[in-house]
Amino acid sequence: MTGRAIRLHPLTILVGAIRELIALLVAGAAGLAVGGLSTAFYFTLLGLGFGLVLHLVKWATFTYTVHDNRIELRRALIGRSVKIIPRERVRGVDISSTLPHRLLGLAVVHVDAGSDGGDGTLNAVSRQEADRLRRVLLSHVAEMRRTPADDTELARASPRWNLYAPLGGTYLLTPFAVAGSVLGTLYNLGDEFGFIDERRLSHLGRDVLGLPVTVGVVVALLFLVAMPIGSVIAFALFNWDFSLRARGEELIAERGLLTRRTVSLERRRIRGVELIDNPLERLAGAARLGALVTGLGDAAQRGRLLPTAPVTISRDVAARVVGTVPGPLVTHPPAALRRRVVRAIIPPLAFTVIALLAGRPWAACAGLVLMILAVPLGADRYHQLGHALDRDRLTVRSGALRRRQAVVERRAVVGWRLRQTLFQRRLGLATLVVAVGAGEGGYPAIDMAEQDAVAFAEEVTPAWVRPFLNS
Amino acid sequence: MAHWAIDYLMAWGLVIAVVWGAAAWAGSDAGWSGMPGWLADRLWWPPIAITALGLLVSAVAPVWRYRVHRWEISADVVYTRTGWFSREWLLVPVGRIQTVDTGQGPLERLLGLATLEINTASHAGSSLVAGLPVDLATRLAEQLAHRAHTLGDDAT
Repeated sequence: MTGRAIRLHPLTILVGAIRELIALLVAGAAGLAVGGLSTAFYFTLLGLGFGLVLHLVKWATFTYTVHDNRIELRRALIGRSVKIIPRERVRGVDISSTLPHRLLGLAVVHVDAGSDGGDGTLNAVSRQEADRLRRVLLSHVAEMRRTPADDTELARASPRWNLYAPLGGTYLLTPFAVAGSVLGTLYNLGDEFGFIDERRLSHLGRDVLGLPVTVGVVVALLFLVAMPIGSVIAFALFNWDFSLRARGEELIAERGLLTRRTVSLERRRIRGVELIDNPLERLAGAARLGALVTGLGDAAQRGRLLPTAPVTISRDVAARVVGTVPGPLVTHPPAALRRRVVRAIIPPLAFTVIALLAGRPWAACAGLVLMILAVPLGADRYHQLGHALDRDRLTVRSGALRRRQAVVERRAVVGWRLRQTLFQRRLGLATLVVAVGAGEGGYPAIDMAEQDAVAFAEEVTPAWVRPFLNS
Repeated sequence: MAHWAIDYLMAWGLVIAVVWGAAAWAGSDAGWSGMPGWLADRLWWPPIAITALGLLVSAVAPVWRYRVHRWEISADVVYTRTGWFSREWLLVPVGRIQTVDTGQGPLERLLGLATLEINTASHAGSSLVAGLPVDLATRLAEQLAHRAHTLGDDAT
């Protein structure tokens, strides 16, 4: 490998300038309103010139060099800075491109190197260069050189999956976000042009309050209709044509409609997977799949192996990535059910008691209703608990509203944490946390029977646990 | 143990002072005017209860925690037991250790103690051994770091 210093793609300047131009057009419009045509024109021109020069200087002073053992990013604009990422530490190479980037055949390369600000971004290089960089930077995996790099497709999203979007919750809020930002923009623009003053605002307020109830109902209905539709659109924007491929020792996930995102994950850094769902998705038989990767920042987004997909497909892909999910899950002892229900009831119970003491019977009634609702929630939380073990992997599951099942390779366990509160001790229960150097770091098996928890840990790592069993 | 006792006394002292202050403010003329009658009659009950609780906890907790706290370093595993009301056992294999730190707070320096911190790639698998004599802590840290290095692979 040569140690040649390389510049970013020259067209990068253009992308930066386009972005600036859009902002400047708005500013120019404002100038137009304030000081007439000539002011606006000079204002915009000045800004554009400044932006262009800045981008040119930035481009001219930034170089990157790929050495045998490291990659250096060198910046010499005002202060000099050199970021050195040892190639052995490179955990993933993430390629993304926004719409302007794609039109110009560019891509942004994000080099992920574990933790603590060790990431480098190349904004932007040509599409081919991005692919070359990914190949080169991930080539330190010896096996990759030996096995021919042929793609096998592990999964491809079918368009029908987009209909799962309203179940997910987060995307449901999109219409509100859109409405909020549109209103905000309108207000700002109006303000710039001097359309808005105190009097008009108060008029508007009175008009809105004076509107008949039917209009309010219609608006609410519109939002109600817009929520699922908007969520499907947002989901499609992010996850359009999702595909997961295996190439040699890499997994490559690609998705997005306007901004296409490609994430490569090294297989040897994958320690397990997790299946996540909520009650609605469970009813529809769908689940999301994520990978547990060591030293991957923003793991929730970048470790995503599948968007919301039929659970059979999620499980199938999980099996092909790490191996079959151990099962069936062992349920936890009945004492755990009691503990879950009691714990679910306590907050509304406390609320009810306080409301009664404060002499608010209505609040107390509400608390009572919440208490009754808490019972099935607690019971459901219990029914979702489970753990299982096979020769290579272990799995633990917990959570009700957001249920999560983690599948972890045995060799990935970096420690055990066994926790027991006073109440758990009385019930003979214990919570065993599997410490893993990937994903969220620890996955709990909540309320296992005491001896089961110890036996579970011993089964997985006899050499560590057995010496302490007698003490 | 002395360290924990001082810690607890300081933390609870703060809480107690805040509660008394709040009660005094609420009881004064400038205070909370919308206070319900049943509370105004018993204004000094919560501060007294909290003070009693604080003193009790400060007296019991350090001793209890000291008796629960255990650590043991075998050939390849670091084992710790901590807690008082709830207990926690932690097993960290030496081969999975990433870094070993020893730290001393101002109080610990006064008392000649140190805390040994053993970190793995997972925050759930990182353990603390508190209240070790300084020289023992530094010696252990060196030994562990050395052994982790010789056993080391990627440790994830």
